[in-house]
Amino acid sequence: MTPRSQLVLRAIVLLGPVVALLMTGPAGHWPPLWIVLPVAGLGATAAAAPDSPVAAGAGLVVLAWWTISLGDGVPAWVLVAAVALLAGHLAGLLAAYGPRQQPLDRATVLLWVRRGALVALTVPAAWAAVRALHGEPEQPGIWVLGVAAACVATVAATAAVEVRRTDS
Amino acid sequence: MSGWRATASLGRALVLAGVGLALALVAGKPAVLVLAAPFVVLAAVTLVHRPTREPRIDSRLDHAVLQEGLGTTSRLTLTGADDVEYVTRAAGRPPYVVQRPHGGRVGGLLGHGTPVLELSPRRWGRRLLGEENVALYTPWAGFRFGPVARGGQPVRVLPTTAPYDSRAEAPQPLGLVGSNRSRRAGSGSELLGIRPFLAGDRLRRVNWRVSLRTGALHVVTSRAEEDTGVLLVVDALADHGVSEGVDGAASSMDLTVRAAAAIAEHHVRAGDRVALRVVGRGREQVGYGAGARHLRRIQDQLATVRVGEAGEGSLQLGVTGGAVVIVLSPMLAESIGTVAATLTRRGVAVLVVDTLPPDAEPAVAEGVDPALASLAWRMRRVERTVVLDRLTALGCPVVAWRGPGTLDDVMRRLARRAQLPRVVSR
Repeated sequence: MTPRSQLVLRAIVLLGPVVALLMTGPAGHWPPLWIVLPVAGLGATAAAAPDSPVAAGAGLVVLAWWTISLGDGVPAWVLVAAVALLAGHLAGLLAAYGPRQQPLDRATVLLWVRRGALVALTVPAAWAAVRALHGEPEQPGIWVLGVAAACVATVAATAAVEVRRTDS
Repeated sequence: MSGWRATASLGRALVLAGVGLALALVAGKPAVLVLAAPFVVLAAVTLVHRPTREPRIDSRLDHAVLQEGLGTTSRLTLTGADDVEYVTRAAGRPPYVVQRPHGGRVGGLLGHGTPVLELSPRRWGRRLLGEENVALYTPWAGFRFGPVARGGQPVRVLPTTAPYDSRAEAPQPLGLVGSNRSRRAGSGSELLGIRPFLAGDRLRRVNWRVSLRTGALHVVTSRAEEDTGVLLVVDALADHGVSEGVDGAASSMDLTVRAAAAIAEHHVRAGDRVALRVVGRGREQVGYGAGARHLRRIQDQLATVRVGEAGEGSLQLGVTGGAVVIVLSPMLAESIGTVAATLTRRGVAVLVVDTLPPDAEPAVAEGVDPALASLAWRMRRVERTVVLDRLTALGCPVVAWRGPGTLDDVMRRLARRAQLPRVVSR
C-alpha cells in the first residue's frame, strides 16, 4: 500500500509542470490542449517513476512553451510557474528516495521544505534582476558570450558528474 | 550495483538549468531565465556535495535465535559515510515474518541515526532474516550509492511452548532421582507401608505409635521417587492444514512441534530424561538427557524439522525399558499407527497425541477434480478413525492436543495399568 506522503509527493510531481505551463494563460497566451495533455502525461509518468529520465521531459516542454508563447516580457506569473516547476522537481527528488511503499519521515520533509524555500528565493531575485535590466541597451556580443558561458558551465557540470574515486 | 552514481534528480536539474539558460540566451526570453534560475542553483549546490569516498555497509541482527512471536532488530553499520545524508532500506519479504515499518521500507536522515528495521518471525523453523537493499544519498540527493544487496542472516526460530502442565505421574519410572513415584520402596515421601524393624533401618523411620502398640519396633516405608524416560516421536511425514503463524490457524506440524516443545519442557523441568525422534525427511533425533541445555537441544532440533517422506530405518525408535513413548502425529500415515500398535503390544507405555487440526483440508493439486479430492479426503479420515479406534482397543490411548492437562488422565490410567501384571508379546 502506498503511504499518504508518497501520494502527496507524486501528486505534486504531476501537477507542478502542468501549473507551470498553465501560468502562460494569465500572462496572455493560454496553452492549447495538445500541449497540456502531453505535459500531463509526462508528469504522470514522472509521478509513477520519479527515478526515470523521462521526468525531465515535462519540464523541457514547459520551458519550450514559455519560450515560444510569450514575447520578451517578464510577467509576474512566471514567479508562480518557476515555483511550481521547482516544487514538482523537489517532490520527484523526495519520491525517488526509496520504493513507492516507503513513507517519508517528517524530518526529511522539513529539511527539504527549508531547502526548497532557500532555492526558491532565487526566483524573485532573478525576476527582479531581469525586470531591472529589461529595456537597457544591449551590449555588443553579450548573447554570444552568455551562450558560450552556459555551454562551458554545462560541459564542466557534466564532467563533474563523474565521481572521483579514492583508494579507500 | 554499487558505487556512487548521479541521480535522476541531478540529471534533471542539469538539463533544465542548461536548456533553460540556452533558450533564454538564444531566443532572448528573460522569462525563461527566471524559470531556469532555481535549477542552476540546485545543480551547483548538488555538485558541490560530490562524494569523495565509498562507504562500507554492514548489517546485523540483535539475535541469532528467537522464539516464534518474539522480535529482533536489524541494525545498519556504515563506515566512511561522511558523504552520506540519507539512508534507504528496503527489506525482502520472507514468509512468516512481520516487519516494522510495515512492508520493510524505511528511510531517514543519517544525522538522526541509522534507520532500524524490526523483524518478528511468526512461525518456527529456519528463517533468513535481514535480507535487504540499501541505498545511500549525498546531501541534496545528487548522488546515490547502491542499492547494495545485503544477504540475510539465518535465524533459528524455536517453537513457542504452548501452555502445558501435568500433575500425572509417569507410568513406569525407572531411573535414579526424580519426582515420579516408583513401585519399589525407597527414600521418598509417599507412604508405602509399615513393617517390623530390620537391621539397617534408620531410626528416624521408626513409627513409635505402632511400635508401642505392638510391643515391637516398626518402621515406615515409602516409595522411591525416580525419574523416567520420555521419548517424543514427532511425525513429520506431511503437513496438513494451513499455517498462519503463531497468531493464526495452526497446521498439523505447528501443533505437533509446539506440543512436543511443551511436553519436553514440562518433563525436563520435572527432572525426567527426554529424548526426541523425528520421523520425517531430516530424521532429527536427540538422545535421552535432562537439564536446560538438553531442552535447548531438543528445541533446536524441533526448529529444524524438515517435512517429507522418511527413508528406510527411520521407524527404529530405540525405545528403552521404563520409557514412556509419546507419539505426536496427525495419524494419517499407516507406518506411525503400526509403530504405536507394535510398541503397545510389547508392553511399552505408548500415548498418541492427535495433532490433526479439525478443519484441515487437503491441498488440491491443479488439474484434480475438487469433488474427487474431497471424497478421497473423507475416505482417508474414515480410515484414520478406524486406526485410532484399533489403537484404543489395543490399550494405546489417543488424545487430541488441547494444552494444559491434555495428558493427565491418560497418564494416570497408564500408571495404574502399569502396576497390574499382564502378558506382553516379544
